[in-house]
Amino acid sequence: MVEKIDMILGGAQGAGLETTTQILSSAFASSGLGVLSDREYYSNIKGRHSYVHAEVSSGTVPRSLNSKIDLLGCMDAETLFTHFLDLKEESYLVYDVSISEKKQEKIKSFEDPLRERLEKKFDELGLEGTIDSIVRFLEEEKNVTIIDLDFPSILAELQDQYEISSSQASRYVSSILIGAVSGLMDLETKSVKQGVNDKFEDKQKIAEQNIFLIENVVKQVKEKVGTPLKMDDPSLEKDKKMMVNGNQVTGMGKIVAGLRFQSYYPITPAADESFFLEENAGESEEENILVFQTEDEIAAITSCIGAALTGTRSATATSGPGFALMVEGLGWAGMNEVPIVITYYQRGGPSTGLPTRGSQEDLTNALFSSHGDFPRIVLASGDHGEAFLDAVESFNLAEKYQTPVIHLLDKYLANFTKTTDIPDLERIKIERGKKAEDTDIKRFADGPISPRISLGDEVIWNTGSEHSPKGHVMEDPENRIKMHEKRMDKLELADKNMEMPERVKYYGPEDPEYLLVGWGSVKGPALDSLESLDERIGYLHLRVFSPFPSEEVLSYLEKADKIISLEHSYSVKISRVIRMETGISIDNEVVKFTGRPMYRDEFIEALKNIIEAGSQREVLRHGP
Amino acid sequence: MAREYGTENWIDWCPGCGNFGIVSSIYRAFSEMELDPEKTVLVSGIGCSGKMPHFVDVSGVHTLHGRAIPFATGIKMSDPDLEVIVNGGDGDLLGIGAGHFVALGRRNLDILVMMHNNRVYGLTKGQASPTLPKDTQTKALTSPNLQSAVPPLSLALSTGYTFVARSFAMDSDHLKEKIKEGMEHEGAAFLDVLQHCVTYNDIHTADFFRDRIVKSEEPEKERSEAFKKIREFRGSEEILTDVLYQDTEEPTFSERLEKKLTGFEERPPAVQNIEEDGKPILDQKEFLSRFDDLIFD
Ligand SMILES: Cc1ncc(C[n+]2csc(CCOP(=O)(O)OP(=O)(O)O)c2C)c(N)n1
Ligand code: SF4
Ligand SMILES: [Mg+2]
Repeated sequence: MVEKIDMILGGAQGAGLETTTQILSSAFASSGLGVLSDREYYSNIKGRHSYVHAEVSSGTVPRSLNSKIDLLGCMDAETLFTHFLDLKEESYLVYDVSISEKKQEKIKSFEDPLRERLEKKFDELGLEGTIDSIVRFLEEEKNVTIIDLDFPSILAELQDQYEISSSQASRYVSSILIGAVSGLMDLETKSVKQGVNDKFEDKQKIAEQNIFLIENVVKQVKEKVGTPLKMDDPSLEKDKKMMVNGNQVTGMGKIVAGLRFQSYYPITPAADESFFLEENAGESEEENILVFQTEDEIAAITSCIGAALTGTRSATATSGPGFALMVEGLGWAGMNEVPIVITYYQRGGPSTGLPTRGSQEDLTNALFSSHGDFPRIVLASGDHGEAFLDAVESFNLAEKYQTPVIHLLDKYLANFTKTTDIPDLERIKIERGKKAEDTDIKRFADGPISPRISLGDEVIWNTGSEHSPKGHVMEDPENRIKMHEKRMDKLELADKNMEMPERVKYYGPEDPEYLLVGWGSVKGPALDSLESLDERIGYLHLRVFSPFPSEEVLSYLEKADKIISLEHSYSVKISRVIRMETGISIDNEVVKFTGRPMYRDEFIEALKNIIEAGSQREVLRHGP
Repeated sequence: MAREYGTENWIDWCPGCGNFGIVSSIYRAFSEMELDPEKTVLVSGIGCSGKMPHFVDVSGVHTLHGRAIPFATGIKMSDPDLEVIVNGGDGDLLGIGAGHFVALGRRNLDILVMMHNNRVYGLTKGQASPTLPKDTQTKALTSPNLQSAVPPLSLALSTGYTFVARSFAMDSDHLKEKIKEGMEHEGAAFLDVLQHCVTYNDIHTADFFRDRIVKSEEPEKERSEAFKKIREFRGSEEILTDVLYQDTEEPTFSERLEKKLTGFEERPPAVQNIEEDGKPILDQKEFLSRFDDLIFD
């Protein structure tokens, strides 16, 4: 019995891995296990290597992944070549014996540097470079238990049983992995079947064939090696839980908040949120959520502003390249005090960069993009629970302060699926801010926050030019000072009054020797590292960057002997922002900018190098 | 007495500018239609033309260069009860904002787009606009224009506008009528307004237009017929005006949305209620039941 395992399941993009993951995740969840799983893929629809890395635990809900794994399940040779070095001593490998002779040269989709790294490794280890040579190495040198399944004969049995063609049968390769994992972990047959049936609700035949194949594989696996990865009885609270990714949980937050207009132009990793909204908007006549695919991101933000001008809760969701096109519109919304929410999922840049990989490179872009000065509120979520609450709070803040809100997330969170508490709507507040009651009032009267008037209520004017309280173009210097101050004062007001979300949260001992500082998706590995070293380590998590909680941040920074910044970027924007806002320079940092997530073990290793060996900057690189 | 639609703002166009003709036709059209100022929105881009909303006493949204259409789109989709009119320059609508111009036609959203077609960039001091013919050299150009002109009516026709018309800034009776017809039309309407710029366009003057205008007869019902008519005028000195094409059958974007979101037309986003006593209107149970496949006991 085991308490926690890390596994990687891999195969070609488009070959069914996603479905496999959903079925397994639901089986884990209904067995009461905690799960965190990441999906890694290329900007490609079919053929390139993709994989899922999941951590499953009976004790707690995992917050980060470990780079060293307990189980590797391979749909193809590429997966085995790519990940065999990730296996721990005494771990488990599932693969297809019929590809034993396959050589790495035959894998056309490898990028050259990976091929070169592999060749070097093979030389080092004295391997021939076939699948078979790797398997023998793992078995002999690493004590890995090999579960060698004969995929073609498993599929042939299915073919015979249901009289289907071999090409039809070949679509079930990914289900072999479901069978293998279910067998090794001894998952309850009932939950696996349930997962399959849910997934293929209206395709009874396919469900039945999947179940036949899975049961066959489970039997073979158990006969070969038993159930060595059976988990301890779960000790998580028995409440209902959800298994959601960041796109979904943010979408849920938006629905709860009362979003009624969402514009978007398709882009990874944001578009899935809009699909989710389209699918899950309510059907009552008071809940028609209009999800609008525009001709570009300029139209996405400007139509969003248009909708907000009529009093509708409006948002748009995008990623770096799309945000770049929205910037002029963002300034217009600031100038005209329009409450809009931009949900900004960061991915690797610059330019198209690493379009399907994660990053936290855009903090300063979110904070400073657009010409001139206007108030903006910038929130950043570090996990699924925060993403839900921040999504709701973004709308409340936008309307209370009548100004644009940028909600920062990243591809990690977007695509990480996690066991998450069910939201309690009783605890959600909807605050729509000050509305005009008086009919004879000017739109931009007495600041900082003028009572809000929407199009359709009264005759109002808006303009991106500097304007009079009535909203007409006006270049007079005294008026300029008055209006500029009125708008900018809103930030100060927000700084004073903002209760939600918790702008800064500290985790750890009262008097830390080492203080980690981070935001967004570094939260998981950071929290998981606190107890791993002998030193007293704390983690300061930032969730609101504008208005920046300078004093509070300063009070924590001053307590620590040494500060270490964490960020998925090259240039550690959080250090720059903190220095700008508090005057404190942070000299140590752990960064990663390969677009792959920070893994717990590599992260802790990096901390050791800083704390024990005096390194200043650690660059993480794990992940193929 | 009929309502007046002027504002207290001093109109700062160059004396003699064709935009004066346009604004006065707007006043007349609105007066005759007795438009409710609170329910009418003029959305403009940036340029001399973009200043229009400040001179008309209905709600006004003076947006960004080229973006009047998508702003207007968000307004109209969220609150279809509002009467929405776009005022844009030729640079605004067919240069920087051309993609949005195309998108509006494809949607057939019920908006009237009025293009102030002076063939130059007025507010930036006379550069060539996308409607200035090739080889033409207006006052501010250092050499003749190297780029060909976009044919606005053909573009509107081929991208799906269901009302395509042209008028002239100084023919107020005609322009006023076309504005009314364009507003009454249900669907995307395009009105190309020939407008002289006294300061930067010394070629396409008011007289230039006045001498060349001819009126089309009945609007065509088939796009192909409308194209044919346009072709007949190619190479000729004459400029075709009037309603060239009108299609009243094609469903508007609201009607298309109604098919996807039942009840949309009755309860569009702007009138939906989202909270009660500071709480979401959602019922916890019903809300969670939407996510059955994501929730586990
Ligand atoms: C993004 C952007 N680029 C450039 C400008 C500068 N600009 C202001 S008006 C204008 C052109 C106006 O020409 P047109 O649209 O034909 O309007 P007109 O002044 O002729 O009515 C330009 C380029 C701007 N405001 N915004
Ligand atoms: S520059 Fe031309 S278009 Fe602009 S106001 Fe003057 S005359 Fe009119
Ligand atoms: Mg012009």
